[in-house]
Amino acid sequence: MNAWLVASAVLLTLGLPPCLWQVYRRTPQERLAGLNLAATMCSAILLLFTEGFNRSSYVDLPLVLAVLAPAGTLVFARFLGGQAAQGEPD
Amino acid sequence: MTVRHVCALVLLVLGVAVLLLSAAALIALPRPYGRLHALTPATSLGLPLVALALAVETGPGRSAVKLLVIAALTAVGGAVTTMAIGRATAQNARLLRKDSPP
Repeated sequence: MNAWLVASAVLLTLGLPPCLWQVYRRTPQERLAGLNLAATMCSAILLLFTEGFNRSSYVDLPLVLAVLAPAGTLVFARFLGGQAAQGEPD
Repeated sequence: MTVRHVCALVLLVLGVAVLLLSAAALIALPRPYGRLHALTPATSLGLPLVALALAVETGPGRSAVKLLVIAALTAVGGAVTTMAIGRATAQNARLLRKDSPP
């Protein structure tokens, strides 16, 4: 067990649950904020796993996640914003 | 315990601390716009610090460059997505028109 795995364990147990809690509740837009932070947390955890298990080839996973997570969030935001009123604001 | 390893550990602890603070802020800050402030520290500071710690640990080379690319992608993507979520929230609350400029 090295420092990298300890850090990833801390992030898994203390960092991810608040994001999942936020994804579970309230309006879709607020859930999207939780999803966005969960993606960042998962990128960090995957990065720490690559160093903790000494497998540098696994860096590609967080690299792909760092590219796709913002794109996915933008797609969600586009559709969630579309529910707004057609005409003038109230 | 070389100097480089100590520097990497310090950067790691700072990065993890920022990520944990962001997670706590996501729950604690007021709905719905205050919570958006919890997203950007994680993407602009937390993950880049963790990636920098890993880059310092692995030493100069191709893998360090890949780690720094991940940090840059996350930092840029984080700022953009936070604004997009704020806009979608405002549109849904009818504060913005649907076709308002981004």
